[in-house]
Amino acid sequence: MAKKNERDTKRCHGGVTRRGFLASVGASTVGAVVASRAAAAPAQQRESLEGMVPCTLKINGRHHSLLVEPRWSLLYVLREELGLTGTKQGCERGECGACTVLVDGVARYACLTLALEVQGHAVTTVEGLVVDGQLSAVQQAFVAEDAFQCGYCTPGQVMAAEALLRANPAPSDEEIREGMSGNLCRCGAYDHIVKAVRRAAAARRAGGAR
Amino acid sequence: MAPSEGAPGLPRAEALPPTGHHPRPDAWGKVLGQTRYVGDLSLPGMLHAALVTSNRASARVRALELSAARSLPEVVAVLTAADVPGANSVGVIFPDQPLLAVDRVRMVGERLALVAARSREAAAAAVGAVRVELDPLPSVHDPVAALAPGAPLVHEGGNLIRTFQVVRGDVARHFRRATVVFEAEYRIGGQEHAYLEPQGCLAVPEGRQRVTVYASCQCPFYVQQAVARVLGLSLAAVRVIQTPTGGGFGGKEDYPSEPAACAALLAWHTGLPVRLVYSRETDMQLSSKRHAMVVRHRWGANGAGKLCFAEVETFMDAGAYVGLSTVVAERANVSAIGPYHVPAVRVRTHVVYTNNLFGGAFRGFGAPQVSVAGEATMDALARRLGLDPVEFRRRNVLDDRRRTTCTGTRLERPVLARQCLERAVELAATTPPVAAGRGEKVGTGVGLVLYGCNLHHGGQRLDRSSAVVILQPDGSVVVRVGLTEMGQGLLVAVQTVAAQALGVPPEAVEVCLPDTSTVADSGPTVASRGALAAGRAVLDAVRRLRRRLDPVAAELLHCPPRQVELLGGHARVRGEPERAVPIAQVAAEMAARRIEAIATGWYRSRPRRFDAASGQGGAYDFYAVACHLAQVVVDAELGLVRVARVVAVHDVGRVLHRPALEGQIHGGIVQGMGWATSERLAVREGRLENPSFTDYVIPTASDAPVVEIEAIEGAAGRGPWGSKGIGEPSLIPTPAAVRNAVCDALGIELFELPLVPPVIVAALGQRHPFAWLREQPADEGVGVR
Ligand code: FES
Ligand code: FES
Repeated sequence: MAKKNERDTKRCHGGVTRRGFLASVGASTVGAVVASRAAAAPAQQRESLEGMVPCTLKINGRHHSLLVEPRWSLLYVLREELGLTGTKQGCERGECGACTVLVDGVARYACLTLALEVQGHAVTTVEGLVVDGQLSAVQQAFVAEDAFQCGYCTPGQVMAAEALLRANPAPSDEEIREGMSGNLCRCGAYDHIVKAVRRAAAARRAGGAR
Repeated sequence: MAPSEGAPGLPRAEALPPTGHHPRPDAWGKVLGQTRYVGDLSLPGMLHAALVTSNRASARVRALELSAARSLPEVVAVLTAADVPGANSVGVIFPDQPLLAVDRVRMVGERLALVAARSREAAAAAVGAVRVELDPLPSVHDPVAALAPGAPLVHEGGNLIRTFQVVRGDVARHFRRATVVFEAEYRIGGQEHAYLEPQGCLAVPEGRQRVTVYASCQCPFYVQQAVARVLGLSLAAVRVIQTPTGGGFGGKEDYPSEPAACAALLAWHTGLPVRLVYSRETDMQLSSKRHAMVVRHRWGANGAGKLCFAEVETFMDAGAYVGLSTVVAERANVSAIGPYHVPAVRVRTHVVYTNNLFGGAFRGFGAPQVSVAGEATMDALARRLGLDPVEFRRRNVLDDRRRTTCTGTRLERPVLARQCLERAVELAATTPPVAAGRGEKVGTGVGLVLYGCNLHHGGQRLDRSSAVVILQPDGSVVVRVGLTEMGQGLLVAVQTVAAQALGVPPEAVEVCLPDTSTVADSGPTVASRGALAAGRAVLDAVRRLRRRLDPVAAELLHCPPRQVELLGGHARVRGEPERAVPIAQVAAEMAARRIEAIATGWYRSRPRRFDAASGQGGAYDFYAVACHLAQVVVDAELGLVRVARVVAVHDVGRVLHRPALEGQIHGGIVQGMGWATSERLAVREGRLENPSFTDYVIPTASDAPVVEIEAIEGAAGRGPWGSKGIGEPSLIPTPAAVRNAVCDALGIELFELPLVPPVIVAALGQRHPFAWLREQPADEGVGVR
């Protein structure tokens, strides 16, 4: 399963390109890329239940039982089968971060994760951050700091920030930039995103917000 | 000046409403993941579209075998040019581009057939099942080579599409006064927009009479025109609704008309909703790009450090179809000199067909490329005169005394170019120097821009905008405009302006994304004109609404209507703030009396005269200036550039909404720096070889520089409250400043962009730390040419 952040940390330090990284991390990431490529295969399969396997996913605290094809990505299942379109699709090959979700609290690219892989794990999407109508500390901070422009990368950024703060409640600016560098923002809202993560970290530490 | 034509808003500075800081109205939907982009929309029975495209840059179409694709399960339609009921043409300006190729393809990615199927996978399978037979034809891939005699012709009639010129002063005479003359050829690469949301649209038919298109786009009216033309429908029968748009940067100006026409054609034939959303690879391969340009310079200065003359000849690679290239060339042409006083100027800008990917609109619209060249030459001349680059600019920059541009326009006072330069230098001096590691070199560079606000004279007929303001019975307000939000902050800017004009809090105002059935054709959302043109139209609508609102308020307040002012959520008697009624009460009274509570507004820029042959006249309505100062750290061994800091000083007229303004500046800098340092389009034989974010590297949070912004207010533009555009001036100076900083760090001159490591290592030649390892000195391509 692809671990995010790792590759971009590498890249930003040594200027290693993404391609260089893909070539260097070995089979797990590359295998997932190939799997998602295979998703463009025969249409006939969809029409029968042949090849479908039962699958139970725990998403945002709710259990969903459904039939999936083993090659379906978590992103596909979230968006197309469960209607959870908050998780965005920017590249479908682990390059942009728009599809970032949490699996057991750790950030993952949903496009590089097979749905079957996350059975028995807790998946959190952007739809699952709001509790009792209250935005999470990260979401509130993104609003307050104007940490988005077009908003297309925003659900992924929010989830990446959430994961970062769960792992490191008091990150330095450098750590924030690194931790967020697996999520591209073409609008270049990075400065405000870093400020928002800083603000959210403080709010979470103060305990006033989740 | 008549209020509807020239006055930007309130007349006196002290009467200006405060700058907005409130959250954007689209904030919550976006952070919650509830904003529905077009790829998030689906309808029962909806089909998925895909495109069959050419994999050759130039070929004759021998055969297109469709029956296998048609017989696949789940495939509903496979269409070709023969199925187009209207005109098979999608060119924005010239009708040179077919929606579907007939017998000839001129670029990789040219559409040959369209597929609609019940699933994305089935559509992809059908594309794979179409057999395309192409007979290759000669092709040309360089704009200079394309003009050589005997070059393969992309279209009959020659490869030169048009040449634009600026002719001012006597170059021969001023040449003789120059003590230093610098000649160079700059090769500036293209750029991919890389908006994070790929191109997408959803077409919903109603018989063959009518269609609604939901589109991720900057210009719903362009989409409307293209769909109407292709389907042979009236404009009124085509309704285009902008969906929340995940970035545009020019890439969703002209291009979305093409996928929209495809989806609409499939919907028209199948009677079903059809959605077309590109994959990233398809998007990068097919969509328009920032134009690659070859810019030749011969500039001279005298012993006093004053510019004497400037000659510029630019070859712009339009690709296989004109698209917006001639319009982009207009801006490139008049931006070639920058904010400098030059007595004699000769600019020629050639727009040239090649068999490459086609160029289109991209933030800066031709100005960034020529600015990189212009600012590079400024540094080169300074160096040859023994002057500091800043000092050389000081001696030549336009100011209140010398304020005539190369197009013969006398700028309105105050001209803030010098102030922007000085402030940038001051701000940079107050910050600690950038730290360099072992083997790293630090450099500083500046870039300036003179930005013509609004559309160029050539596009002036499109420079208009429509608005509707509706006062609800509870005092809240609905605003409809014809210009789009794509992340730049149009909604919050319009909301701020409407709220201030009506004296209500911003939360009371809802601004809708454009729908062509609710507002008049407002032209494109481009040229940094969104807030300006939409805001001015809203002010006009509010003015008209108040003709009905003020008398009602006056009755409630027992004062004459002209004494009514709207402030703080109340209608008040001017000068007597305690005599006030809530606007909600006035609105309720209007509703009770059945008084029309809706008003329309209109904006158009002032008409201007411009002579295209000499490039002299009113190129733009008004101007903004900006200076960026970049500090870079270069690892000379690896040729890697890190942009550590950018100081950005902008003449903005007036800040409408502070966070959105700063967001635009940050975004422009990050995008400009990406283009300058890492974003290389690897185009070979017209094919993009790096259509992914792995191989086409855009900046991450770790790459973004520290940015310091200063927005200078006071030189009023013609936007609401004196504001000017910011979307494009925020990008244009950065690549030039970064390039100059890299040259400063390494002590060399570079003539290419982007400055990817191989370019820098090659340019270092013998000065590269490991040059001794090489047998052959690799010095060619460096130095003055
Ligand atoms: S869509 Fe998953 S990383 Fe881009
Ligand atoms: S806000 Fe547009 S890509 Fe991040």
